[in-house]
Amino acid sequence: MELAKYIVKELKGKGVDDVVATVNKIVVSQIKFSNNKVAKTGNEISVNLSIFIVKDKKIVVTSLKDFNKGEERTISPSNLSHNDKKSADDVIKNLLNFIKYVQPNQNYNGIAEGPFKYKNVKNYDKKIIDVNEFDLMEKGINSALESASRADGIIEKHLTETTLITSNNISTTDKSTRMYFSIRAFKDKDASGHMNTCSSSLSKLDVEGSGKMAGNIAKLARNPEEGKSGRYDVVFSYMPMAALLNHMMDSASTFQIESGLSFLANKLNKKLGNFDLIDQGNLENSFNSTKFDNEGVPTQKNYVIKNGVLKTYLHNTSTAKRYKTKTTANAGLIAPSPSNIILRGKEGNIFDIKKGIYITNVWYTRYQNHLTGDFSTIPRDGIFLIENGKITIPIKNIRVSDNFLNLMKNISLVGKESKHLRSWEADTPVTTPEVLIKNVNISKPKL
Amino acid sequence: MYEDLADFAIKRLESLGASYAESKLEEARGSGYVIKNGNVEISGFDKSIGLGVRFIANGTLGFLSINDLNKSKLSDLIKNSFNLTKTASKIGEKVRLSEEKTVKANYEVKQKIKLDSVSPDEKIKFLTDIDNEINKKYFRFFSLSDSISRKYFVNSEGTKIISKIPNVSFYYFITVIINNKSMQRYLPFGNSGGWEFVKKWDLKNKTLAEIKALENVIKKGVKTPKGKIDVVVGPEVTGIASHEGVGHPYEADRILGREAAQAGGSFINQDMIGHKIGSDVVNLIDDPTLPNSNGFYLYDDEGVKARKKILVKDGKITEFLHNRETAIQMNVKSNGSSRASDYNKESLVRMSNTFVLPGELKEEELFEDIKLGVYMKNFMEWNIDDKRFHQKYTGAEAYLIKDGKITQPVINPVLEITTPALWSSVDALSKKVEFVAGNCGKGEPMQGIPVWFGGPSMRLRNITMR
Repeated sequence: MELAKYIVKELKGKGVDDVVATVNKIVVSQIKFSNNKVAKTGNEISVNLSIFIVKDKKIVVTSLKDFNKGEERTISPSNLSHNDKKSADDVIKNLLNFIKYVQPNQNYNGIAEGPFKYKNVKNYDKKIIDVNEFDLMEKGINSALESASRADGIIEKHLTETTLITSNNISTTDKSTRMYFSIRAFKDKDASGHMNTCSSSLSKLDVEGSGKMAGNIAKLARNPEEGKSGRYDVVFSYMPMAALLNHMMDSASTFQIESGLSFLANKLNKKLGNFDLIDQGNLENSFNSTKFDNEGVPTQKNYVIKNGVLKTYLHNTSTAKRYKTKTTANAGLIAPSPSNIILRGKEGNIFDIKKGIYITNVWYTRYQNHLTGDFSTIPRDGIFLIENGKITIPIKNIRVSDNFLNLMKNISLVGKESKHLRSWEADTPVTTPEVLIKNVNISKPKL
Repeated sequence: MYEDLADFAIKRLESLGASYAESKLEEARGSGYVIKNGNVEISGFDKSIGLGVRFIANGTLGFLSINDLNKSKLSDLIKNSFNLTKTASKIGEKVRLSEEKTVKANYEVKQKIKLDSVSPDEKIKFLTDIDNEINKKYFRFFSLSDSISRKYFVNSEGTKIISKIPNVSFYYFITVIINNKSMQRYLPFGNSGGWEFVKKWDLKNKTLAEIKALENVIKKGVKTPKGKIDVVVGPEVTGIASHEGVGHPYEADRILGREAAQAGGSFINQDMIGHKIGSDVVNLIDDPTLPNSNGFYLYDDEGVKARKKILVKDGKITEFLHNRETAIQMNVKSNGSSRASDYNKESLVRMSNTFVLPGELKEEELFEDIKLGVYMKNFMEWNIDDKRFHQKYTGAEAYLIKDGKITQPVINPVLEITTPALWSSVDALSKKVEFVAGNCGKGEPMQGIPVWFGGPSMRLRNITMR
């Protein structure tokens, strides 16, 4: 707190217009397991200082992890140590020197004016700090091994303390816990299933359920047959929906829109489908919930798509002014970004289809054209044929080659149960049900 | 300045009973600049210093990292981490490392034009000068960054290596729009070295040529011919196919299953050395020692001397990529392929500069006997499954080949093919090798590391495209 305060005060005193100083202290422990055994333990302590300054619309940012001079220090002491002050003075000097050479960002319109009242966000659980992660990991593995023969994955827990001070009357702190479990189960080399879970609350971390689901998929995935190309009604399970929803929500960032990297450009107030797509920075027990965004604005719930209509892009204060609207509390000081994504749609029997495909995971989602939304992604782990409402045989070697706007338009029904997860392919946590999307183009390689 | 802490970490772990310990102090600094549609969005600099320590306790691997470089905090973290790993060893993989020579080395990549000597405004001007030449109706996104990384590596076997590697990188993302039709291109550049490489990239001319080519595709592009045709792919496509379809599945940690829940497995198994995987003309290398390459290093992050690896010779698998942990499991020595992106990440088996060796033909000779085909010069969309068995590359700049000659452009030709089918269909190679920079992802948390991939143009026979 003192370090960030000192930096903001000094920079403001030297004529800088806007300053945001953020100190993050992160303690992480991680266990990686492979073939049912611990492959590696990991422990990290990291202290990061980020500073954003603006003078005459010229923007400079810096991220520092080198303000150590050997003394004892914490991020919330009452007194600033001599060496921290010296480090701060060095960085202030460097920032002021650097900004002399920078050209103005004509798009910049300022940071939020505080102070704000912050509501408590349920994002801290001491039980996460105290939990024996080995026990949890073993429970997850054992659940998978009820159906599978091997399990691989990660269990990790984080404690994050954030201090944010701005030159516009914002001074706040947040302390959060997070836990993440990822398990991929194998019945044999070609039969696998994958499921993840994450939360800021230990009781919401569904380790055993995830292990069980991964194991069940692996068991069903044995002896897959070659898939066939064509158009199918596809049920996307939780993992692939997490990946696809990350792409959909990232495309709502003003920064993506203005960069030509979004298929949601020029779609405001247009009907894109029949579902709600929400971003909620203060979602209870979520993996990524925080009290405030990167400029100190209290986080909130935003309907980005409501009843299928694109209602807003993701904004910070600066982009919101440009679009004559209010910030959605999604700073990113330069690029607004999502926090926790939620999908809601019309509930129904998603497997009630004559002929379709059930996809349980995807990866490598890549675009031919971000602006049009043309993309492909590859199912991995169990892929199954659905015939007359039932999962029949496992299949392999197919690819979803379609367009994001088509997928959105064709979201038909969602399952009853939602899960909260993130993954390698889905950096932003997602709360999603399984989803039936009709008329999806499936391609496959020529052998 | 904190080398003593790196040394201390080794002694502390030995005193606790670790059978092996290595410690890496990494100091990095750099700057970055982003120009979006002609507007200077953001500029900045960063600096970090931290210590990453890997050790074996009761046969199980432990890793810790800290950037709060205080001896007592480090000591406490080591103790806690060691105890955690000891507990984990009850259900832990018993890790052994291949025996390797101890090394004392100190090396540096020289900068002809020092990165520090080029001011931020010169770097920004470099980007705006390119932007000024481009049609303002198009989306333009440029990112330029530079860094200098100094590493001090020690291990409990007596190896001590100091290295200093500067790196420059750039990428552009261009969207060309004509009459509501659009095409996009992303292209990265990267070298280890100084500002002299940014000058060598000839970015203004390359960007403008690429825009012109995309405009031509939008205006005059035709559909991909149906049926079996011959295909010539340019060095960019050769490179990505080498990286994705050969380099990744030859990473021994994937073959052994250690990365199964993250980067995935491999369609290759460890008994496939000598297995025919491509045609006789296919020879494929991974070589971190290429001077000033993007994936350059002389000693890997386990302190093993780097060397050129011949992954495929005359179409047969000859070698996998190894670190010390995988090497001993396959009864070989490490070939120096262990890399970590930062001090706070464990090193994994990684590629460096992966490429196909050239043939003897001139570029135009590859087209001569093709009656009907497609020349896919470069690509935009690509992906590959987690076992690296089937992949898709969709062309950006591509042309129809008719009666041995390049004719009109082709819109979005799709090459969706299995890895063995792709490499078995290669029958000729051009003599000029070109490289593209990449940022290869692996691990959890994700580690992006600088690589090159490339090769010559390749001719593929009897291919079905879409």
